[in-house]
Amino acid sequence: MIEAQQLTKRYGPTLAVDTVSFTVAPGSVVGFLGPNGAGKSTTIRMLTGYLPPTSGRATIGGFDVLTQAFEARRQLGYLPESTPLYPEMRAEEYLHFVGKLQGMPRGGRRRRIDEVVEQCGLSLVRRRTIGRLSKGNRQRVGIASTLLHDPPVLILDEPTSGLDPNQMSHVRDLIRGLAGRRTVLLSSHLLPEVQRVCDRAVIIAAGRVVADGTLEELRQRATQTAPASPVLIEVKGTVEAVKAALRNVPYAASMDAAPAGEAGWVDAWLVPEGAADVRADAAAVLSSAGLLVREMRREAATLEEFFIRVTDVARNADTNGVAQEKEMLLGEPAGSSAGGTA
Amino acid sequence: MRGVLTIARRELAALFYSPIAYAVIGLFALGAALVFVAGFVPGQEATVRTVFDATVWLLVFLVPAVGMRLLSEEFARGTVERLMTLPVSESQVVAGKWLACVFFLAVMLAALLVPVAVLEFVAEPDYGPVFTGLLGLLLVGAVYAAVAVFASATTQNQVVAFMVAVFINCGLTFVLFFLPRSDVVGPEAQAALHYANLNRQYADFAKGLIDVRHFVYFASGTLFFLYAAVKLLESRRWR
Repeated sequence: MIEAQQLTKRYGPTLAVDTVSFTVAPGSVVGFLGPNGAGKSTTIRMLTGYLPPTSGRATIGGFDVLTQAFEARRQLGYLPESTPLYPEMRAEEYLHFVGKLQGMPRGGRRRRIDEVVEQCGLSLVRRRTIGRLSKGNRQRVGIASTLLHDPPVLILDEPTSGLDPNQMSHVRDLIRGLAGRRTVLLSSHLLPEVQRVCDRAVIIAAGRVVADGTLEELRQRATQTAPASPVLIEVKGTVEAVKAALRNVPYAASMDAAPAGEAGWVDAWLVPEGAADVRADAAAVLSSAGLLVREMRREAATLEEFFIRVTDVARNADTNGVAQEKEMLLGEPAGSSAGGTA
Repeated sequence: MRGVLTIARRELAALFYSPIAYAVIGLFALGAALVFVAGFVPGQEATVRTVFDATVWLLVFLVPAVGMRLLSEEFARGTVERLMTLPVSESQVVAGKWLACVFFLAVMLAALLVPVAVLEFVAEPDYGPVFTGLLGLLLVGAVYAAVAVFASATTQNQVVAFMVAVFINCGLTFVLFFLPRSDVVGPEAQAALHYANLNRQYADFAKGLIDVRHFVYFASGTLFFLYAAVKLLESRRWR
Protein backbone atom coordinates (compact mmCIF):
# COMPACT_ATOMS: atom_id res chain seq x y z
CA MET A 1 0.00 0.00 0.00
CA ILE A 2 2.87 2.35 0.79
CA GLU A 3 6.06 1.95 -1.13
CA ALA A 4 9.35 3.85 -0.93
CA GLN A 5 11.77 3.11 -3.74
CA GLN A 6 15.33 4.35 -3.31
CA LEU A 7 14.14 7.66 -1.86
CA THR A 8 16.99 10.14 -1.59
CA LYS A 9 16.95 13.75 -0.47
CA ARG A 10 19.93 16.01 -0.69
CA TYR A 11 20.05 19.53 0.73
CA GLY A 12 23.10 21.05 -0.91
CA PRO A 13 26.03 18.96 0.25
CA THR A 14 24.02 17.30 3.05
CA LEU A 15 22.52 13.91 2.37
CA ALA A 16 19.41 13.91 4.54
CA VAL A 17 17.89 10.68 3.27
CA ASP A 18 19.99 8.09 1.47
CA THR A 19 18.32 5.51 -0.83
CA VAL A 20 15.57 4.54 1.60
CA SER A 21 13.40 1.65 0.39
CA PHE A 22 10.64 -0.21 2.17
CA THR A 23 7.05 -1.30 1.65
CA VAL A 24 4.08 -1.36 3.97
CA ALA A 25 1.70 -4.25 3.27
CA PRO A 26 -2.07 -3.64 3.23
CA GLY A 27 -3.66 -3.80 6.66
CA SER A 28 -0.44 -3.66 8.65
CA VAL A 29 0.71 -1.12 11.21
CA VAL A 30 4.37 -0.32 10.68
CA GLY A 31 6.55 1.75 12.96
CA PHE A 32 9.06 4.08 11.35
CA LEU A 33 11.63 4.31 14.06
CA GLY A 34 14.73 6.41 14.44
CA PRO A 35 16.44 8.94 16.69
CA ASN A 36 15.64 12.64 16.23
CA GLY A 37 17.25 14.00 13.09
CA ALA A 38 17.55 10.59 11.43
CA GLY A 39 15.53 11.69 8.41
CA LYS A 40 12.12 10.35 9.44
CA SER A 41 10.15 13.48 8.66
CA THR A 42 11.98 14.13 5.41
CA THR A 43 11.23 10.58 4.28
CA ILE A 44 7.59 10.96 5.25
CA ARG A 45 7.35 14.27 3.40
CA MET A 46 8.61 12.54 0.29
CA LEU A 47 6.19 9.64 0.82
CA THR A 48 3.24 12.00 1.06
CA GLY A 49 4.32 13.98 -1.99
CA TYR A 50 4.90 17.18 -0.03
CA LEU A 51 8.61 17.28 -0.82
CA PRO A 52 9.88 16.02 -4.15
CA PRO A 53 12.76 13.55 -3.67
CA THR A 54 16.16 14.27 -5.21
CA SER A 55 15.89 10.78 -6.66
CA GLY A 56 13.70 7.75 -6.13
CA ARG A 57 9.96 7.30 -6.16
CA ALA A 58 7.08 6.84 -3.72
CA THR A 59 3.66 5.32 -4.28
CA ILE A 60 0.52 5.19 -2.15
CA GLY A 61 -2.10 2.60 -3.04
CA GLY A 62 -0.24 2.08 -6.29
CA PHE A 63 -0.40 5.77 -7.30
CA ASP A 64 2.79 7.74 -7.78
CA VAL A 65 2.66 10.58 -5.26
CA LEU A 66 4.01 13.13 -7.74
CA THR A 67 2.61 12.18 -11.15
CA GLN A 68 -0.76 10.89 -9.84
CA ALA A 69 -0.81 13.25 -6.89
CA PHE A 70 -4.58 13.68 -6.44
CA GLU A 71 -5.35 9.95 -6.69
CA ALA A 72 -2.61 9.22 -4.17
CA ARG A 73 -3.80 11.99 -1.83
CA ARG A 74 -7.37 10.66 -1.85
CA GLN A 75 -6.01 7.33 -0.59
CA LEU A 76 -4.11 9.02 2.18
CA GLY A 77 -4.75 10.51 5.61
CA TYR A 78 -1.62 12.37 6.67
CA LEU A 79 -0.88 13.92 10.04
CA PRO A 80 2.31 16.00 9.79
CA GLU A 81 4.74 16.31 12.69
CA SER A 82 3.50 18.47 15.61
CA THR A 83 -0.06 18.45 14.21
CA PRO A 84 -0.43 21.79 12.43
CA LEU A 85 -3.99 23.15 12.77
CA TYR A 86 -5.72 26.51 12.39
CA PRO A 87 -6.11 27.73 15.98
CA GLU A 88 -8.88 30.21 15.15
CA MET A 89 -11.22 27.52 13.78
CA ARG A 90 -13.61 25.38 15.76
CA ALA A 91 -12.80 21.67 15.76
CA GLU A 92 -15.93 20.96 13.75
CA GLU A 93 -15.26 23.76 11.25
CA TYR A 94 -11.80 22.38 10.63
CA LEU A 95 -13.19 18.91 9.97
CA HIS A 96 -15.71 20.40 7.52
CA PHE A 97 -12.89 22.30 5.79
CA VAL A 98 -10.76 19.17 5.35
CA GLY A 99 -13.82 17.13 4.29
CA LYS A 100 -14.76 19.70 1.65
CA LEU A 101 -11.25 19.70 0.23
CA GLN A 102 -11.41 15.90 0.15
CA GLY A 103 -14.47 16.38 -2.05
CA MET A 104 -17.01 14.92 0.37
CA PRO A 105 -20.64 15.94 -0.26
CA ARG A 106 -22.34 17.83 2.57
CA GLY A 107 -24.62 15.07 3.85
CA GLY A 108 -21.94 12.39 3.89
CA ARG A 109 -19.56 14.84 5.47
CA ARG A 110 -21.91 15.60 8.39
CA ARG A 111 -22.49 11.92 9.09
CA ARG A 112 -18.79 11.08 8.82
CA ILE A 113 -17.81 13.96 11.12
CA ASP A 114 -20.23 12.64 13.75
CA GLU A 115 -18.57 9.24 13.41
CA VAL A 116 -14.95 10.36 13.69
CA VAL A 117 -15.78 12.80 16.50
CA GLU A 118 -17.24 9.86 18.39
CA GLN A 119 -14.36 7.55 17.47
CA CYS A 120 -11.70 10.05 18.55
CA GLY A 121 -13.49 11.05 21.75
CA LEU A 122 -14.10 14.66 20.73
CA SER A 123 -17.84 14.82 21.41
CA LEU A 124 -17.49 17.29 24.28
CA VAL A 125 -15.13 19.69 22.53
CA ARG A 126 -16.29 19.60 18.91
CA ARG A 127 -17.63 23.16 19.05
CA ARG A 128 -14.60 24.58 20.82
CA THR A 129 -11.95 26.73 19.18
CA ILE A 130 -8.89 24.63 18.38
CA GLY A 131 -6.52 27.16 19.98
CA ARG A 132 -8.22 26.57 23.32
CA LEU A 133 -8.01 22.78 23.24
CA SER A 134 -5.48 20.74 25.23
CA LYS A 135 -2.55 19.26 23.33
CA GLY A 136 -4.09 15.81 23.55
CA ASN A 137 -7.39 16.98 22.13
CA ARG A 138 -5.66 18.89 19.36
CA GLN A 139 -3.88 15.67 18.47
CA ARG A 140 -7.25 13.95 18.31
CA VAL A 141 -8.64 16.66 16.04
CA GLY A 142 -5.64 16.12 13.77
CA ILE A 143 -6.16 12.36 13.72
CA ALA A 144 -9.92 12.77 13.22
CA SER A 145 -9.23 14.96 10.18
CA THR A 146 -7.07 12.23 8.65
CA LEU A 147 -9.80 9.60 9.13
CA LEU A 148 -12.58 11.73 7.71
CA HIS A 149 -12.64 10.56 4.10
CA ASP A 150 -12.10 6.95 5.24
CA PRO A 151 -8.70 6.56 3.59
CA PRO A 152 -7.12 3.11 3.24
CA VAL A 153 -3.70 4.54 4.12
CA LEU A 154 -2.68 6.59 7.16
CA ILE A 155 0.69 8.22 7.68
CA LEU A 156 1.19 9.71 11.14
CA ASP A 157 4.40 11.61 11.93
CA GLU A 158 5.18 11.43 15.66
CA PRO A 159 1.53 11.41 16.69
CA THR A 160 2.26 11.18 20.41
CA SER A 161 5.17 13.58 20.80
CA GLY A 162 4.57 16.28 23.37
CA LEU A 163 1.72 14.45 25.07
CA ASP A 164 1.61 13.38 28.70
CA PRO A 165 1.71 9.61 29.38
CA ASN A 166 -2.05 9.41 29.80
CA GLN A 167 -2.81 11.19 26.52
CA MET A 168 -0.10 9.13 24.83
CA SER A 169 -1.79 5.96 25.92
CA HIS A 170 -5.15 7.15 24.56
CA VAL A 171 -3.72 8.13 21.19
CA ARG A 172 -1.92 4.78 20.96
CA ASP A 173 -5.11 2.88 21.70
CA LEU A 174 -6.85 4.92 19.04
CA ILE A 175 -4.20 4.01 16.46
CA ARG A 176 -4.12 0.39 17.54
CA GLY A 177 -7.89 0.32 17.00
CA LEU A 178 -7.37 1.29 13.36
CA ALA A 179 -5.22 -1.74 12.60
CA GLY A 180 -6.53 -4.35 10.19
CA ARG A 181 -8.91 -2.07 8.34
CA ARG A 182 -6.26 0.43 7.38
CA THR A 183 -2.61 0.49 6.44
CA VAL A 184 -0.75 2.65 8.92
CA LEU A 185 2.78 4.04 8.91
CA LEU A 186 3.61 5.66 12.21
CA SER A 187 6.86 7.43 12.90
CA SER A 188 8.31 7.59 16.36
CA HIS A 189 11.56 7.93 18.23
CA LEU A 190 10.16 5.82 21.07
CA LEU A 191 10.70 2.08 20.85
CA PRO A 192 8.10 1.15 23.50
CA GLU A 193 5.48 2.96 21.45
CA VAL A 194 6.32 1.00 18.33
CA GLN A 195 6.38 -2.22 20.35
CA ARG A 196 2.93 -1.52 21.66
CA VAL A 197 1.27 -0.33 18.47
CA CYS A 198 3.06 -1.89 15.51
CA ASP A 199 3.51 -5.31 13.93
CA ARG A 200 6.61 -4.32 12.05
CA ALA A 201 9.33 -1.72 12.32
CA VAL A 202 11.61 0.03 9.88
CA ILE A 203 14.56 1.53 11.73
CA ILE A 204 16.31 4.49 10.16
CA ALA A 205 19.48 6.25 11.28
CA ALA A 206 21.57 8.94 9.62
CA GLY A 207 19.25 8.82 6.61
CA ARG A 208 19.55 5.10 5.95
CA VAL A 209 17.43 2.06 6.74
CA VAL A 210 19.44 0.03 9.26
CA ALA A 211 16.83 -2.61 10.10
CA ASP A 212 13.48 -3.69 8.71
CA GLY A 213 11.35 -6.60 9.90
CA THR A 214 8.63 -7.83 12.22
CA LEU A 215 9.26 -7.14 15.89
CA GLU A 216 9.94 -10.87 16.38
CA GLU A 217 12.54 -10.87 13.59
CA LEU A 218 14.20 -7.81 15.05
CA ARG A 219 14.29 -9.42 18.49
CA GLN A 220 16.00 -12.47 17.01
CA ARG A 221 18.47 -10.29 15.18
CA ALA A 222 19.11 -8.45 18.42
CA THR A 223 20.06 -11.70 20.13
CA GLN A 224 22.19 -12.93 17.25
CA THR A 225 24.16 -9.75 16.76
CA ALA A 226 24.49 -8.84 20.42
CA PRO A 227 27.98 -8.96 21.90
CA ALA A 228 28.28 -12.15 24.02
CA SER A 229 26.53 -11.47 27.29
CA PRO A 230 28.07 -12.98 30.43
CA VAL A 231 26.26 -15.55 32.53
CA LEU A 232 26.13 -14.66 36.20
CA ILE A 233 26.19 -17.58 38.70
CA GLU A 234 25.89 -17.65 42.48
CA VAL A 235 27.58 -20.76 43.92
CA LYS A 236 28.25 -22.08 47.45
CA GLY A 237 31.96 -22.84 47.92
CA THR A 238 35.38 -21.27 47.69
CA VAL A 239 36.63 -19.06 44.88
CA GLU A 240 39.36 -21.55 43.96
CA ALA A 241 36.97 -24.51 43.79
CA VAL A 242 34.50 -22.63 41.64
CA LYS A 243 37.19 -21.42 39.25
CA ALA A 244 38.62 -24.92 38.95
CA ALA A 245 35.22 -26.35 38.13
CA LEU A 246 34.26 -23.66 35.60
CA ARG A 247 37.49 -24.22 33.64
CA ASN A 248 35.86 -27.43 32.41
CA VAL A 249 32.86 -25.68 30.80
CA PRO A 250 33.07 -26.04 27.01
CA TYR A 251 32.59 -22.95 24.74
CA ALA A 252 33.49 -20.57 27.55
CA ALA A 253 35.70 -17.72 26.39
CA SER A 254 36.61 -16.50 29.83
CA MET A 255 35.47 -16.65 33.44
CA ASP A 256 36.13 -15.13 36.83
CA ALA A 257 34.90 -15.50 40.40
CA ALA A 258 34.90 -13.41 43.59
CA PRO A 259 33.49 -13.80 47.10
CA ALA A 260 29.88 -12.64 47.34
CA GLY A 261 28.60 -10.34 50.08
CA GLU A 262 27.20 -13.28 51.96
CA ALA A 263 29.80 -15.55 53.64
CA GLY A 264 30.33 -18.93 51.97
CA TRP A 265 28.87 -17.79 48.61
CA VAL A 266 30.78 -16.91 45.45
CA ASP A 267 29.76 -14.77 42.45
CA ALA A 268 31.07 -16.16 39.18
CA TRP A 269 30.96 -14.76 35.65
CA LEU A 270 31.17 -16.85 32.55
CA VAL A 271 31.57 -15.28 29.12
CA PRO A 272 30.57 -17.67 26.31
CA GLU A 273 32.15 -17.88 22.89
CA GLY A 274 29.92 -16.10 20.40
CA ALA A 275 26.25 -16.75 20.92
CA ALA A 276 26.76 -20.15 22.59
CA ASP A 277 24.46 -20.96 25.49
CA VAL A 278 26.70 -22.29 28.26
CA ARG A 279 24.18 -22.37 31.09
CA ALA A 280 23.29 -26.06 30.97
CA ASP A 281 26.94 -27.12 30.78
CA ALA A 282 27.90 -24.80 33.61
CA ALA A 283 25.16 -26.23 35.84
CA ALA A 284 26.23 -29.81 35.06
CA VAL A 285 29.92 -29.09 35.72
CA LEU A 286 29.23 -27.32 39.00
CA SER A 287 26.89 -29.99 40.36
CA SER A 288 29.29 -32.80 39.44
CA ALA A 289 31.96 -30.91 41.39
CA GLY A 290 29.53 -30.94 44.35
CA LEU A 291 28.96 -27.19 44.32
CA LEU A 292 25.48 -25.84 45.01
CA VAL A 293 24.05 -23.30 42.56
CA ARG A 294 21.28 -20.99 43.78
CA GLU A 295 21.07 -18.59 40.88
CA MET A 296 22.12 -18.46 37.27
CA ARG A 297 21.03 -15.75 34.82
CA ARG A 298 21.89 -14.35 31.42
CA GLU A 299 20.87 -10.88 30.31
CA ALA A 300 19.07 -11.47 27.00
CA ALA A 301 19.75 -8.80 24.38
CA THR A 302 16.79 -6.43 24.33
CA LEU A 303 15.27 -4.64 21.39
CA GLU A 304 16.00 -1.39 23.20
CA GLU A 305 19.70 -2.15 23.30
CA PHE A 306 19.59 -3.26 19.66
CA PHE A 307 17.90 0.00 18.64
CA ILE A 308 20.53 2.08 20.40
CA ARG A 309 23.30 -0.01 18.92
CA VAL A 310 22.21 0.14 15.27
CA THR A 311 21.28 3.80 15.32
CA ASP A 312 24.45 4.81 17.17
CA VAL A 313 26.74 2.92 14.86
CA ALA A 314 25.14 4.37 11.76
CA ARG A 315 25.43 7.85 13.19
CA ASN A 316 29.06 7.45 14.22
CA ALA A 317 29.93 5.88 10.90
CA ASP A 318 28.56 8.95 9.24
CA THR A 319 30.16 11.58 11.42
CA ASN A 320 33.49 9.99 12.33
CA GLY A 321 33.99 7.81 9.32
CA VAL A 322 34.10 4.56 11.26
CA ALA A 323 33.57 2.70 8.02
CA GLN A 324 34.57 -0.71 9.26
CA GLU A 325 32.05 -0.77 12.03
CA LYS A 326 29.36 0.32 9.64
CA GLU A 327 30.29 -2.45 7.27
CA MET A 328 30.12 -4.98 10.08
CA LEU A 329 26.69 -3.91 11.17
CA LEU A 330 24.98 -3.08 7.94
CA GLY A 331 26.52 -5.99 6.09
CA GLU A 332 27.72 -3.90 3.21
CA PRO A 333 31.13 -2.73 2.05
CA ALA A 334 32.46 0.50 3.50
CA GLY A 335 31.35 3.16 1.05
CA SER A 336 33.46 5.88 -0.41
CA SER A 337 31.21 8.32 1.45
CA ALA A 338 32.98 7.61 4.73
CA GLY A 339 35.81 10.12 5.12
CA GLY A 340 38.68 7.84 6.12
CA THR A 341 39.10 5.67 9.17
CA ALA A 342 39.15 6.87 12.73
CA MET B 1 -13.55 25.81 -8.42
CA ARG B 2 -14.97 24.11 -5.36
CA GLY B 3 -11.52 23.89 -3.83
CA VAL B 4 -10.93 27.58 -4.54
CA LEU B 5 -14.17 28.60 -2.80
CA THR B 6 -13.46 26.34 0.18
CA ILE B 7 -10.03 27.94 0.62
CA ALA B 8 -11.49 31.43 0.14
CA ARG B 9 -14.23 30.87 2.70
CA ARG B 10 -11.80 29.63 5.34
CA GLU B 11 -9.50 32.52 4.60
CA LEU B 12 -12.27 35.10 4.99
CA ALA B 13 -13.35 33.54 8.27
CA ALA B 14 -9.75 33.70 9.48
CA LEU B 15 -9.43 37.33 8.32
CA PHE B 16 -12.53 38.42 10.18
CA TYR B 17 -11.45 36.41 13.22
CA SER B 18 -8.31 38.52 13.57
CA PRO B 19 -8.42 42.10 14.89
CA ILE B 20 -6.28 43.27 11.95
CA ALA B 21 -9.31 43.12 9.66
CA TYR B 22 -11.38 45.42 11.82
CA ALA B 23 -8.44 47.75 12.41
CA VAL B 24 -7.85 48.05 8.67
CA ILE B 25 -11.52 48.69 7.87
CA GLY B 26 -11.82 51.16 10.74
CA LEU B 27 -8.69 53.06 9.74
CA PHE B 28 -9.81 53.14 6.15
CA ALA B 29 -13.28 54.42 6.96
CA LEU B 30 -11.81 57.07 9.24
CA GLY B 31 -9.24 58.16 6.66
CA ALA B 32 -11.84 58.33 3.90
CA ALA B 33 -14.15 60.40 6.08
CA LEU B 34 -11.37 62.84 7.02
CA VAL B 35 -10.30 63.33 3.40
CA PHE B 36 -13.91 63.84 2.39
CA VAL B 37 -14.60 66.41 5.11
CA ALA B 38 -11.34 68.23 4.39
CA GLY B 39 -12.38 68.48 0.75
CA PHE B 40 -15.61 70.24 1.69
CA VAL B 41 -14.70 73.82 0.86
CA PRO B 42 -17.51 76.43 0.61
CA GLY B 43 -17.92 77.73 -2.90
CA GLN B 44 -16.23 74.74 -4.57
CA GLU B 45 -17.86 71.66 -5.98
CA ALA B 46 -18.53 68.85 -3.54
CA THR B 47 -16.98 65.64 -4.83
CA VAL B 48 -15.89 62.17 -3.77
CA ARG B 49 -13.10 62.29 -6.34
CA THR B 50 -10.59 63.49 -3.74
CA VAL B 51 -11.51 60.60 -1.49
CA PHE B 52 -11.08 58.09 -4.31
CA ASP B 53 -7.73 59.57 -5.33
CA ALA B 54 -6.51 59.33 -1.74
CA THR B 55 -7.76 55.75 -1.53
CA VAL B 56 -5.61 54.68 -4.49
CA TRP B 57 -2.56 55.71 -2.50
CA LEU B 58 -3.82 54.22 0.74
CA LEU B 59 -4.23 50.83 -0.95
CA VAL B 60 -0.45 50.70 -1.47
CA PHE B 61 -0.14 50.05 2.27
CA LEU B 62 -3.53 48.70 3.29
CA VAL B 63 -3.65 45.70 0.94
CA PRO B 64 -0.26 44.37 2.09
CA ALA B 65 -1.50 44.68 5.68
CA VAL B 66 -4.53 42.56 4.85
CA GLY B 67 -2.69 40.06 2.66
CA MET B 68 0.65 39.60 4.42
CA ARG B 69 -0.56 36.59 6.40
CA LEU B 70 -2.22 34.73 3.52
CA LEU B 71 0.54 32.18 2.89
CA SER B 72 3.26 33.15 5.36
CA GLU B 73 1.00 32.17 8.24
CA GLU B 74 0.49 28.75 6.67
CA PHE B 75 4.26 28.34 6.50
CA ALA B 76 4.83 29.55 10.06
CA ARG B 77 2.15 27.24 11.48
CA GLY B 78 3.14 24.31 9.28
CA THR B 79 -0.45 23.96 8.05
CA VAL B 80 0.80 24.30 4.48
CA GLU B 81 2.07 20.72 4.73
CA ARG B 82 -1.38 19.39 5.57
CA LEU B 83 -2.99 21.60 2.94
CA MET B 84 -0.65 20.61 0.13
CA THR B 85 -1.11 16.91 0.86
CA LEU B 86 -4.89 17.21 0.44
CA PRO B 87 -6.27 16.84 -3.09
CA VAL B 88 -5.97 20.56 -3.82
CA SER B 89 -3.49 22.19 -6.19
CA GLU B 90 -1.15 25.11 -5.61
CA SER B 91 -3.14 27.22 -8.10
CA GLN B 92 -6.37 26.53 -6.21
CA VAL B 93 -4.79 27.58 -2.92
CA VAL B 94 -3.34 30.76 -4.41
CA ALA B 95 -6.59 31.63 -6.22
CA GLY B 96 -8.64 31.02 -3.07
CA LYS B 97 -6.41 33.24 -0.95
CA TRP B 98 -6.46 35.98 -3.56
CA LEU B 99 -10.23 35.79 -3.90
CA ALA B 100 -10.67 36.14 -0.14
CA CYS B 101 -8.42 39.19 -0.14
CA VAL B 102 -10.35 40.83 -3.02
CA PHE B 103 -13.66 40.12 -1.29
CA PHE B 104 -12.35 41.72 1.86
CA LEU B 105 -11.28 44.79 -0.14
CA ALA B 106 -14.75 45.02 -1.64
CA VAL B 107 -16.21 45.09 1.87
CA MET B 108 -13.68 47.72 2.86
CA LEU B 109 -14.33 49.88 -0.21
CA ALA B 110 -18.02 49.80 0.62
CA ALA B 111 -17.11 52.33 3.31
CA LEU B 112 -16.73 54.80 0.44
CA LEU B 113 -20.46 54.64 -0.11
CA VAL B 114 -20.87 56.69 3.07
CA PRO B 115 -19.47 59.92 1.54
CA VAL B 116 -21.50 59.17 -1.59
CA ALA B 117 -24.64 58.92 0.53
CA VAL B 118 -23.79 62.24 2.19
CA LEU B 119 -23.42 63.83 -1.23
CA GLU B 120 -26.76 62.40 -2.27
CA PHE B 121 -28.24 64.05 0.81
CA VAL B 122 -26.83 67.54 0.10
CA ALA B 123 -26.56 67.53 -3.68
CA GLU B 124 -27.01 65.52 -6.82
CA PRO B 125 -23.90 63.44 -7.39
CA ASP B 126 -22.97 62.10 -10.82
CA TYR B 127 -23.12 58.36 -10.29
CA GLY B 128 -21.17 57.44 -13.44
CA PRO B 129 -17.69 58.38 -12.19
CA VAL B 130 -18.59 57.14 -8.69
CA PHE B 131 -19.16 53.61 -9.88
CA THR B 132 -16.37 53.50 -12.44
CA GLY B 133 -14.16 54.91 -9.71
CA LEU B 134 -15.17 52.16 -7.30
CA LEU B 135 -14.63 49.56 -10.02
CA GLY B 136 -11.19 51.02 -10.73
CA LEU B 137 -10.30 50.91 -7.04
CA LEU B 138 -11.31 47.27 -6.87
CA LEU B 139 -9.16 46.46 -9.91
CA VAL B 140 -6.21 48.25 -8.33
CA GLY B 141 -6.92 46.27 -5.17
CA ALA B 142 -6.97 43.03 -7.18
CA VAL B 143 -3.45 43.69 -8.48
CA TYR B 144 -2.22 44.60 -4.99
CA ALA B 145 -3.91 41.50 -3.58
CA ALA B 146 -2.01 39.37 -6.11
CA VAL B 147 1.20 41.17 -5.08
CA ALA B 148 0.38 40.46 -1.42
CA VAL B 149 -0.22 36.75 -2.08
CA PHE B 150 3.07 36.60 -3.96
CA ALA B 151 4.93 38.46 -1.19
CA SER B 152 3.52 36.18 1.49
CA ALA B 153 4.66 33.16 -0.53
CA THR B 154 8.27 34.33 -0.19
CA THR B 155 8.55 34.04 3.58
CA GLN B 156 7.02 32.69 6.76
CA ASN B 157 7.50 36.08 8.40
CA GLN B 158 4.45 38.32 8.04
CA VAL B 159 6.42 41.52 8.58
CA VAL B 160 8.82 40.61 5.79
CA ALA B 161 5.86 39.74 3.56
CA PHE B 162 4.35 43.16 4.29
CA MET B 163 7.62 44.92 3.42
CA VAL B 164 8.04 42.97 0.18
CA ALA B 165 4.47 43.78 -0.89
CA VAL B 166 4.80 47.49 -0.06
CA PHE B 167 8.11 47.58 -1.89
CA ILE B 168 6.56 46.12 -5.06
CA ASN B 169 3.50 48.37 -4.81
CA CYS B 170 5.74 51.42 -4.42
CA GLY B 171 7.65 50.28 -7.48
CA LEU B 172 4.40 50.19 -9.46
CA THR B 173 3.37 53.65 -8.32
CA PHE B 174 5.98 56.03 -6.85
CA VAL B 175 8.92 54.79 -8.88
CA LEU B 176 6.95 54.73 -12.13
CA PHE B 177 5.74 58.23 -11.31
CA PHE B 178 9.14 59.82 -10.76
CA LEU B 179 11.32 57.78 -13.11
CA PRO B 180 9.76 59.00 -16.40
CA ARG B 181 10.08 62.60 -15.15
CA SER B 182 13.81 62.28 -14.65
CA ASP B 183 16.48 62.62 -17.35
CA VAL B 184 17.80 59.11 -16.73
CA VAL B 185 15.51 57.43 -19.26
CA GLY B 186 14.97 58.12 -22.93
CA PRO B 187 11.65 59.23 -24.42
CA GLU B 188 10.57 55.74 -25.58
CA ALA B 189 11.22 54.27 -22.17
CA GLN B 190 9.36 57.18 -20.64
CA ALA B 191 6.25 56.29 -22.59
CA ALA B 192 6.51 52.66 -21.54
CA LEU B 193 7.03 53.56 -17.89
CA HIS B 194 4.11 55.95 -18.07
CA TYR B 195 1.93 53.16 -19.34
CA ALA B 196 3.12 50.76 -16.64
CA ASN B 197 2.23 53.21 -13.86
CA LEU B 198 -0.65 51.69 -11.97
CA ASN B 199 -2.15 54.95 -10.80
CA ARG B 200 -2.18 56.32 -14.32
CA GLN B 201 -4.18 53.28 -15.38
CA TYR B 202 -6.62 54.10 -12.63
CA ALA B 203 -6.96 57.77 -13.55
CA ASP B 204 -9.41 57.16 -16.40
CA PHE B 205 -11.72 55.13 -14.16
CA ALA B 206 -11.89 58.10 -11.78
CA LYS B 207 -12.99 60.29 -14.68
CA GLY B 208 -15.74 57.87 -15.54
CA LEU B 209 -14.01 56.23 -18.49
CA ILE B 210 -13.91 52.49 -18.99
CA ASP B 211 -11.26 51.41 -21.46
CA VAL B 212 -10.46 47.81 -22.42
CA ARG B 213 -6.75 48.59 -22.35
CA HIS B 214 -6.94 49.32 -18.64
CA PHE B 215 -8.71 46.03 -18.03
CA VAL B 216 -5.95 44.26 -19.92
CA TYR B 217 -3.38 46.02 -17.77
CA PHE B 218 -5.01 45.10 -14.45
CA ALA B 219 -5.81 41.54 -15.50
CA SER B 220 -2.30 40.83 -16.75
CA GLY B 221 -0.76 42.40 -13.64
CA THR B 222 -2.95 40.26 -11.40
CA LEU B 223 -2.25 37.08 -13.33
CA PHE B 224 1.47 37.74 -13.41
CA PHE B 225 1.78 37.95 -9.63
CA LEU B 226 -0.62 35.05 -9.03
CA TYR B 227 1.41 32.90 -11.39
CA ALA B 228 4.62 33.86 -9.61
CA ALA B 229 2.98 32.97 -6.27
CA VAL B 230 1.95 29.52 -7.58
CA LYS B 231 5.49 28.87 -8.78
CA LEU B 232 6.91 29.90 -5.40
CA LEU B 233 4.49 27.66 -3.55
CA GLU B 234 5.39 24.77 -5.84
CA SER B 235 9.09 25.24 -5.25
CA ARG B 236 8.90 24.51 -1.45
CA ARG B 237 12.00 26.58 -1.10
CA TRP B 238 11.46 27.60 2.49
CA ARG B 239 12.47 24.21 3.81
